[in-house]
Amino acid sequence: MLDLLRELTALDGVSGDEGAVRDYIISKISGHCEYETDPLGNIIAFKKGRNRSVKKLLADAHMDEVGLIITSVTADGFLKFAAVGGIDTSVLMFRQVKIGGVNGVISGKPVHLMSGDEKKKLPKPDSLYIDIGAASREQALTLVKPGDRAVIRGGFSLMGSRVTAKALDDRIGCAVLISLLTKESEYDFYASFTVQEEVGLRGAKAAAFRVAPDAALVLEATTAADTAGVPEQGMVCRLGQGPAVSFMDRATVYDRAYYEAALKSGIKCQPKTAVAGGNNSGSLHLSRGGVRTLALSVPCRYIHSPSSVADMKDIESTERLAEYMINGICSGRIE
Amino acid sequence: MDIKEILFALSSADALGSVREAAELSEKFLSRFCETRRLRGAGAVGFLKGKSDYTILLDAHIDQIGMIVTDVDGDGFLTVSNSGGIDIRALPARTVTVHGKEKIPAVFFFFLPHLSDGKAEYTDISKIKLDTGLKEKARSIISAGDYVTFSAEPLQLVGDTVSGRSFDDRAGAACLLKTAERLSGRELPCNVIILLSDAEELGMRGAVTSAFELEPDEAIAVDVSFGDGPDIPENECGRLGGGAMIGISPVLDRALSDRLASISEENGIKYQTEVMGGKTGTNADVISVSRGGVRTCTVSVPLRNMHTEAETLRLSDLESVCALLEKYVLSGGLMNA
Repeated sequence: MLDLLRELTALDGVSGDEGAVRDYIISKISGHCEYETDPLGNIIAFKKGRNRSVKKLLADAHMDEVGLIITSVTADGFLKFAAVGGIDTSVLMFRQVKIGGVNGVISGKPVHLMSGDEKKKLPKPDSLYIDIGAASREQALTLVKPGDRAVIRGGFSLMGSRVTAKALDDRIGCAVLISLLTKESEYDFYASFTVQEEVGLRGAKAAAFRVAPDAALVLEATTAADTAGVPEQGMVCRLGQGPAVSFMDRATVYDRAYYEAALKSGIKCQPKTAVAGGNNSGSLHLSRGGVRTLALSVPCRYIHSPSSVADMKDIESTERLAEYMINGICSGRIE
Repeated sequence: MDIKEILFALSSADALGSVREAAELSEKFLSRFCETRRLRGAGAVGFLKGKSDYTILLDAHIDQIGMIVTDVDGDGFLTVSNSGGIDIRALPARTVTVHGKEKIPAVFFFFLPHLSDGKAEYTDISKIKLDTGLKEKARSIISAGDYVTFSAEPLQLVGDTVSGRSFDDRAGAACLLKTAERLSGRELPCNVIILLSDAEELGMRGAVTSAFELEPDEAIAVDVSFGDGPDIPENECGRLGGGAMIGISPVLDRALSDRLASISEENGIKYQTEVMGGKTGTNADVISVSRGGVRTCTVSVPLRNMHTEAETLRLSDLESVCALLEKYVLSGGLMNA
């Protein structure tokens, strides 16, 4: 699982440009299940189990990550950009980026040249620019085009039982889903690796329509604010306590019976104690005539940053709980 | 080694307080070309003998900006204070290296704006804690007083542009190491001391004591200065690729500035002047008033994003600095002036 996660997070897949992640996932699941790629770039897979399912279940993880898109090049050869997905300006400042094979750094005014007030507030995102070392617009345009995606570089480090990397949201979900597809399954189920989650839960709309499931299980990463100085009721969820199971967020009211079944499973998990954020469930549960949906989210500190932190033990619990829910729903044991 | 290899090796090594990787690397490099000596206040010092007793001191500081641990709590979270000037706004979600009993990666807190009510503060570094992920085990590896450094590895950009951490002032250090290599084995008109001074970012304290001990006749402080960029006033910066920045200031020796310029002209070395109204913010400020006074000038490398992990420069400017220092020393400096 650790190697899988290391390789998945090293891939670049800003929303709408998920090709590298898709190719990697296909290389891993090929031979273990049937799959196709839809017009948006989603992978839709069918896993044959030992038994037929009484309910058609779709397990989903999204392939894309937040990042930047190049909008224009200045006369001096600097690149202007827009955010793709939710990225805070503090996370952008003075970061190393990669635009295809071209390296760059997000640049701005050094602290010495700022007034006292300037030092205290974040710069406007549109005042930042990427320096690739080009001396002119002409030189820059030979290497980079408007519309190219930029990824903020992030290393992969172990911190005890925890890992820090970029794009844990949602390569964690991809890793768990790959693992579920590549081992024997008790029941048949469908899986989708979707595009464009970070720009409005878009890939999942098409995937859900195509599969037309009775039930959906979203494998995600969610904000954990369990750090020093945060009161317990503000933590959302905590690392090491298993996946966060949501009853409601800004995009979805989850299926109550599935929510309760997950909490009663005996597998380590925790309720997500905030009505915040959203994930592909928002699209899945409203597909066609409605789909009963549950999300299992791996607690992740500093999400949407190149230094996100998650606990490997939570990823293992998530896989076990996902398997439990798939088998329960597909067999009819969980109603 | 070419100048890029030296710069990248020095950038990947750290030097801050008791962390001495870059100093040790410099000393090892220097010892291949000249006599070295340990000196309080210096990371490394090299001596190149010349034909006269006249001594030119070439200085670059080996220390870097960073942080120091002030508290380790029982859950593996650290409180730090800055060591040198740091842009606190750029710390959230940044991975850094804690130099404890072993090197540990750690991440600065970052809260999504919708969870912090948009009330994030960037005035007090002690409020942006560091997460080691090690829980209660952190206390057995990290103690208050341990140093913390940035972790970005050097990166090749387009052409000869490069970016990385601690280029302030590993750029200067790389130039001095390269200059020592170029001067070694040559017949020199005067002595040259290569000083990799310590603690510049903490009030130039290393240069104060080192200059006193070394008693040079003249000195050149090689450091970085502000490079150009879209929101940098043109009169406050040097142009990347514009060559060595030769300082002119009331606190510097004007004859030395002029001599550096004329040596550049004579040898076709790219240079630009950097005119300042007073103190230079470099070790030149303290070396010039060491003992009974030392004729001093600055030679600077234009650098973008100073004091961040994205310090960016052009290698051609380092080459200009190396060429200028070499030719200047071979000319005897102000020895006969």
